[in-house]
Formats: sequence, structure tokens, C-alpha cells
Amino acid sequence: MDGTTQIITILILLLTMVVSVIVTQFIRRRRDLYTLRDIPAYRALPMVVGEAIEANRPVHVSFGSAGLGGASTPLALASNELFYQTAERAAIGGVPPILTVSDPTAVPLGQDTLRRAYQSRGLLDRYRRGSVRWYPAGPRSLAFAAALTATLGDDRVSANVLVGSFGTELALVAEASARRNRTVIASSDQLDGQAVAYALADQPLIGEEIFTAGAYLGGSPSQIAGVVTQDVLRWLLVAAIFIPAAIAVGDAILNGRFSLAISRLLGGG
Amino acid sequence: MGRLLAAVSSAIAIGFGLLTLVGLLVGQQIPLFATLTDIFLQLVVITAAVTILIGIFNLLAVHTSRIGRRRGGWVYSIVLVISAAGVLLLYILEKAGVLTGQPAITTVLLETVQVSIESALAGLVLFALVYGAYRMMRRRVTWGGILFTLVLLVLLVGALPLPGLDLIASLRDWLLAVPVSAGARGILLGIALATVVASVRILIGQDRSYRE
Repeated sequence: MDGTTQIITILILLLTMVVSVIVTQFIRRRRDLYTLRDIPAYRALPMVVGEAIEANRPVHVSFGSAGLGGASTPLALASNELFYQTAERAAIGGVPPILTVSDPTAVPLGQDTLRRAYQSRGLLDRYRRGSVRWYPAGPRSLAFAAALTATLGDDRVSANVLVGSFGTELALVAEASARRNRTVIASSDQLDGQAVAYALADQPLIGEEIFTAGAYLGGSPSQIAGVVTQDVLRWLLVAAIFIPAAIAVGDAILNGRFSLAISRLLGGG
Repeated sequence: MGRLLAAVSSAIAIGFGLLTLVGLLVGQQIPLFATLTDIFLQLVVITAAVTILIGIFNLLAVHTSRIGRRRGGWVYSIVLVISAAGVLLLYILEKAGVLTGQPAITTVLLETVQVSIESALAGLVLFALVYGAYRMMRRRVTWGGILFTLVLLVLLVGALPLPGLDLIASLRDWLLAVPVSAGARGILLGIALATVVASVRILIGQDRSYRE
């Protein structure tokens, strides 16, 4: 890693850390400080879980090929937060939620998530380790999609929350779900999977929305601060893209005099 | 006791996370951190390998339980358990030098069974996508839906090897090079920023996954 990249990385991490900690304190004092924009998928999720409980059927949640120890670790933890919120709501029902994974490192993560969800409801005796299922397959495997499609029928799944790392194989699961008239909430960190989710899911989550589940469904100050930090970084990135682009356009129109004028304005040459 | 365990697990996660981060950032200047980072990453690889065993036990437990309770699809579970045991046995025999054929029989099984099935399923993805466009438009006609269907049509028609479709092929190439590429970068940047925030939240102990 060269020196400039090092410095920029450290600055971004420090900025993220500082904003996250400060905003958490502000939100702890005033809960209504920041209004979260509406995300239909998160609005629909409690209702979807409620319908599953009434129908005495399981909710199926899946990590796809996201797991721990690789580049998809933060995604796996973000999906995990969504699954925790889903499982916590579904725990009061008669049928436990089903959590499917393709990466074996997500098996203990999923088991712990379900255990914590049942524990938080004081229903730990209802928790079953078999609710987490490993379908061995490589990343973006169609065999994994085929296994999920079979699960929908065999376990009479009520709704699917497919949030993790999926490719185009997501289309097969979503299509099978649509044929059974089951709700699908879906998203992926892979672009092709994301496109399929947008087209086929009843409620798609787009891009970074996966990472905001805790703030929308849990609502703790630190989780909301995470969303605010994302927004701050996003606006800084917009400025970092827009300002040089505006200068380049200005220079092209004014034959290089635009950047010179700005330089003089800021006290330079 | 629970709180103490949570505090200890948080301290371990934060400590290891920060040391690894420092090692990755300044490892070239301070070799001690680079060594520590290497050791931690090796531990991660070993732990990940162990989770495969956990996965195999999970797979067998789920399916033997399904067979025992005669739940839906239990016949397939019998096939799965027998196949898994069979492949495991074949692999052990290969490693023991009892089966010495080239290519290895487990490789042949993988290529003839899994690869063939996946190829067949890949053919279905296109139909699922077209059905998705139809379903999207039937549910509610929105600008997003119209745009999606139009782009899908242009991409499909533009990929046809027929004469007289040069204009559509050029449009397809432009769509892929400019708006699709721009949108893709936007989504990836959003995901990257969210990943940074999620990682920092774990490092400063704001994430709940290892605290309870």
C-alpha cells in the first residue's frame, strides 16, 4: 500500500469512527434528531412475519454465499442483523424460521443469531439447531438455488428474505416463490443478483440498504448513527466526484481560467 | 456473568480487529504488526476449515432428522445422505491409494453430476428473468418497470446474430458502457461506503453480533 492510499484510508476510517461515536451520543439525547427515509422492504417485513405466524408456516432467510473471513464478512454481519430482527419477530410463532447458508463459516453465525433471537424472547427451549441449513455449493452456485427451491415446497415456506451474496441464480428462487404466491424480500452485493432482485422481488433492497436493517428494525442510537455516518460519507464522496468534474468542465469552457480563478480565490498564485 | 463474557468477547474482537487493521496499514514500516496480522489471518483460515466439518455435521443432522420424522422430501434426504457417505468413502479410498484412476473418480462425479445439473439450470435463468419482466409490468406499470423491460428487450434483440440489427447492437453496447456502468459503479460505491461503516462499527464495539 503506497503512502497516499495509507493516509486516505486512515483518514476515512478515523472520520467514520468520529462521526459514528458523536452521532450516537446526539441520538441518545434526542431520539427524533434524524428521520430515516422510508424503505418499503423494512416497512413490509413485520407484516410478512406476522402472516407467516398466522399461517403457522416458517419464514425462510438466506445468506446466499456470504460468509465470515473473506471480503463478504461485513455483508454477512449486516445480513445477520436483518435475520436477527426477523427471527426475533418470528420466534413467537409455532414454526421456527429456516436459515440457509452456502458458506460453511455462516453456519455458526446463523445458529448463534437464531439462538440469540429466541433468548431475547425468553423462548430458548424452542430453538432448534437444525433450523440453520448448510447447502454446500460454491459462490453463485445454481445447485444452491435448486436446493432453496426445494426447501420452499418441502417446508411450506411462507415468505423469503434473501439478503446476502447472490448472482443470477436468485431468479430461480424468486420465480419459484412467485409461482407459490410467496413474498420475497431480496438484495445482493453482486450487481447481477441485485438486478434480478429489483426485477423479481416483491420488496427489493437496493445496494447499501442491506446495511441499515438494524436502524430500521431495531432502532438503537448506534444503529441509527451508522445510517447517518453512511450519509455523511456519501455526501463527501459526491463532493469529491462533483467538484473536480465541475472544475474540469469549467476549464474546458474557459480555456483553463476557471481553475486559475478558484486558485486565486483560495489565496493561491 | 453474561455481561462479563460480553465485555471479554468485545475486548477480544476489538483488540484483534485493531491489531489486524494496523498491521495491514503500517505493516511495511513496522514488521511486528505484519507478523501479527499474518498469524491472525492464518488462524482465520484454520477456523474456516473447521467450519466445513461443522457444515457436514449440520447437513447430516438436518437430513437424518428429516428421514427419522418422515417430513416432506425425506426420500431425497435418503439419497443425499447415501450420496454424501458414498463420495466421502470414495475420497478416503482415493487418498489411501486404493483407487488410483485418472481423472479421480470424485472429480468425474463432480463434473458429470453437479456441473451438468448447473448447466441445465443456467438455461432456465433467462426464462425466469423474462417472466420477471412480465410479472413486474403486470403488477404495476411504473417508469422503472418500463425502463427495465425496454432495456431487457434491447439487450436480448441486440445479442441476436441477425443481419440489419446493427443500430440495436450499437444501442446495446452504449447502454452497457455508459448508463449500466454508471449505475453499477454507484451501487458498488454505496455498498463500499456501507461496508466501511459496518466494519468500523464492529471495530469500536457498536455491533451486537458478538456481545450477547
